[in-house]
This record gives sequence, structure tokens and C-alpha cells, in this order.
Amino acid sequence: MAGAASAALATQGGLKMKIEFLGAAKRFSARGNEIEALTPTDLSIAREEFVALVGPSGCGKSTMLNLAAGLLEPSAGTVLYDGVPVHGPNRRVGYMTQKDTLLPWRSAADNIRIALELRCRATPRAEAAERVAQMIDLVGLTGFESHFPAELSGGMRKRVAMARSLIYEPETLLLDEPFGALDAQLKLLLLDELQQLTRNRRMTVLFVTHDLGEAITLADRIVVFSARPGRVRGVHSVALPRPRDVFRIRFSEAFGRMHEALWDELKDDIVKGTDV
Amino acid sequence: MTATRRILWRIFLIVALLGFWQFVPTSRATQFWLSRPSQIAAALWRWLEDGSLWGHLGATLLVMVAGYVIGCISGIGVGFLLGLLPRLHRVVSPYLAAVYALPKIALAPLFIIMLGIGFAPKITLVAVTVFFLVLNSTVDGVRDVDRDQIQSLVLMGASRGEIIRKLLVWASMPWIFTSMRIAVRYAFTNTLLAELFAANRGLGFLIQYSSGNFDATGTYAAITVLILCSVLLTEVLSRLENQMARWKV
Repeated sequence: MAGAASAALATQGGLKMKIEFLGAAKRFSARGNEIEALTPTDLSIAREEFVALVGPSGCGKSTMLNLAAGLLEPSAGTVLYDGVPVHGPNRRVGYMTQKDTLLPWRSAADNIRIALELRCRATPRAEAAERVAQMIDLVGLTGFESHFPAELSGGMRKRVAMARSLIYEPETLLLDEPFGALDAQLKLLLLDELQQLTRNRRMTVLFVTHDLGEAITLADRIVVFSARPGRVRGVHSVALPRPRDVFRIRFSEAFGRMHEALWDELKDDIVKGTDV
Repeated sequence: MTATRRILWRIFLIVALLGFWQFVPTSRATQFWLSRPSQIAAALWRWLEDGSLWGHLGATLLVMVAGYVIGCISGIGVGFLLGLLPRLHRVVSPYLAAVYALPKIALAPLFIIMLGIGFAPKITLVAVTVFFLVLNSTVDGVRDVDRDQIQSLVLMGASRGEIIRKLLVWASMPWIFTSMRIAVRYAFTNTLLAELFAANRGLGFLIQYSSGNFDATGTYAAITVLILCSVLLTEVLSRLENQMARWKV
């Protein structure tokens, strides 16, 4: 099923759409060169859907997230959020980037709390403290509350960043290779936590990754991109029942078939010499 | 063991140097400009007894501290303003660069014409020197803040004021502190230069006055006080720095 077709189907079906890319495209000009980061793209993400975007580097996956977050304006087409065009920063999403943006002068707990200190989410001190404590417990950071980011390992920093994006319970979570640089076991642990948290809180998730396994494990649908210029190559539904066992699902037959199908679709781009 | 030995060597060195200075055979003419440690100590004692030393020391410290504080506060304030208004900064930056490069002591005669020879021109000189040092670092610090960090706060719903209070102020702090540390030495040097220029009080004046009267002993005594001040200042600064080292990443 092609991206455009699925978007059309979903809209016709009257499903409530959270994010809609309608012919959204992005061109950058760098030193006089026009670079087409994303060709006109149609994609609709339903409320509470978990959609993974996979594809080689430079295929416009991150651009999609930036468009949804309102950090970039599309050069053509529109991006709708709850049916309304996105202009300027979209404050209803939580965005967790590849690089964690923790504040080095704040302890882990203070970093997690920051959203609750803002006027627009003003939370009484006692309630904030309680929610921070819950969050710390949830992501397994107990005992490290007062550590500064520089005193934490890479995995722990990712946990802090995740807790910080989740504590204010944004209805939509945008994740850009959040666990890219972590070792395999730790990645699985965090994927498991992410699955539980986002399902329990009924979040809509747009998840960019290089890792097909990650995508199949978590997503309802997987959008495969091809590189330069970035465009949607195909959209696949993941027909694996929920809840999924993050640690074992990779050994199931269905997972294997899915992985193979996606791999076949991606390999042309790999042959072209782009990295996956 | 080695530490004790090192300290013993240090004491030996200074005693040997002072002993040599004290007892080296000299002609009367040489004696006139060389002086002797015992005479210098006596001069210091005399200044302490009649209280004149405190007056001079106080005058120097007043100029230095007042100029430093005024310079820091205005430098940080204007620095934030220019850091937050990049278009304004682009307009004025060549002028700032030109004044920044100018050795501020060249302005001392101007300040004296305008403000007389009291504390005002000296405090102004020190404040101006410190101002430009701190200003430049503050602007750089504010502009260097990670864009991704700003965006992540914006998406959480932070207002402009909240981004300034919760991010920019903190992120630029290491830059500001670094410049403030460097500025202490500049403030000290410029205070002294200003007092050498035109003054009737202060350590710089004491040096100038003593040498003007061909009083080598008095000159050395004033320099001794100056050395003690520098050592004290360095000590205080390095302690402050160690205190701050924890969250500087």
C-alpha cells in the first residue's frame, strides 16, 4: 500500500487523524544549492497509533518530525495536527532527539521536572515532586536523582531524557533515533519501557529509527523511505498482537518474515551505497 | 616528606635571597637605590604604626572593587541585551571590537580632564576596562547556547522569559565567570596604572611618590604590599574556581 493511498483510505474511513502530511515537502538551500530533503509526501497518523519511519540516512525522516513539531515550515503542502495546520512550535508534542538536550547544571530530578515548572503547565510543588519521583521510579533511575548529567552514563541520560519528555504527558511523542548509540541489551530494556509508557498513556508516537528490528517490535505501521530525495517507498502494517514481548518477539516467525520483507525493500538503497 | 622538603627549600631560598640583599657589600651610591630588607621592613612598620598604609590600601581597594562591580554589572546587562538582540549586535559589533582592542589606559588622561584626579576617573577607567571584557564574553555566551536546547524548551511550552531564566542565564554563566576571573587582574592592573598617572592616595601613588622623592626604601615597601595583595587575590580566585568546578562540564 502506497503512502498516498493509505492516507486517502484513512481519511475516507472517518478515522480521527492526529497528524496529516498533505503533499508536505521541504527544500533547503545550502551555499546556493537547492537540496530536496523531502519530496511531496502524504502520510496520516491516527490517534494513538505508533508509526515508525525507517530508511537510509538523509531520507527526510527527521524532516518529517521537525515538520510535525513545527520547527520547520513545509516548502510546499501542509502539515495538519488535529486537523489544524501547524505553524510555529507545536506545543502539544514531546520531542526526543538523537542528542539529549539535558541541562548540565540541573540534577537528573531537576531536569525531569523542568516542564512542570513552566507557567503553562504550572504544577504545585508537592505534586511536581511526587510526579518526578514516580517518573524516576518508572524509568529505573532510583538512587541517581541528584546526579548531574555529566555524572550519568549514556543509557541513564537517555532515561532522564525520556522521563523528561513523558512527565508532562504530551499527547504525541516524536522520537528521533532516541536509543541509537546504546548497547543492544539496554536498548531492549528502554524499548520495553517506551512501549509500556506510550500504550498506558494512549500516546500517538512517530518514531524514527535505523533499526528495522526496533520498528517491527514497537510499531503499528512502518513507513519505509528511500534516500535523496527523500520519499515514501511503502507503508507496512505490523500484524503482531499486543502487548508485545520486546525481548522475545524477534524470535517469532512473523517477525522474521516482516524483517525480510522490509529488508528487501530497503536493500536497493543500500546497494546504491547509502548507509542504513 | 617531599612536601616538607619542598617547603624547607622555599624558606631557604627566600632567606638566602633576603640575606644576600641585606649583607651584600655596596657603595653608598648603590645603597641609595638598592636599599636593604631591614630598612624596608622598618618603613612598612612605620606606615603600619601611623596608619597611613591602611589609607593607601583602602583607596586602591575602593577603586578596584567599585570599578570591578560597576563594570561587571553593566557588562553582563548590556551583554545580555546584545545577545538577545542579534540584529542590534550585528550593527554595533565593529565599534565594540574597535573599543575592545584599545588599551583602556589610553583613556585615562581623558577621564582625568573630565572627572578630576579623585576616585571618579580611576573607578571609571577600571569599570570601562572590566565592562568590555565581560560584555564580549556575555554576548558570546548567550549566542553560544545550544539551539536544540532552546527548541526543546519551546516545545514544552516555555515563554521567552522562561527560556532566558531557565536556560540562557545558566548556560552563559561559565562564559561570564571566566571573563570575570580574567577581569580581576585587569582591574588590579588598571587601578595601579591610574594611580601612577595622577593620584594623591593609593598604593600606586605610594610607589610614585616614594620614587619621586628618591626614596628607594619606600618604593620597595609599597611594592611589597602590592605583592602581598596579588598573592591574596590569586589565592581567593583559585578557591572560588574550585568551588564552581563541579557543574561546569
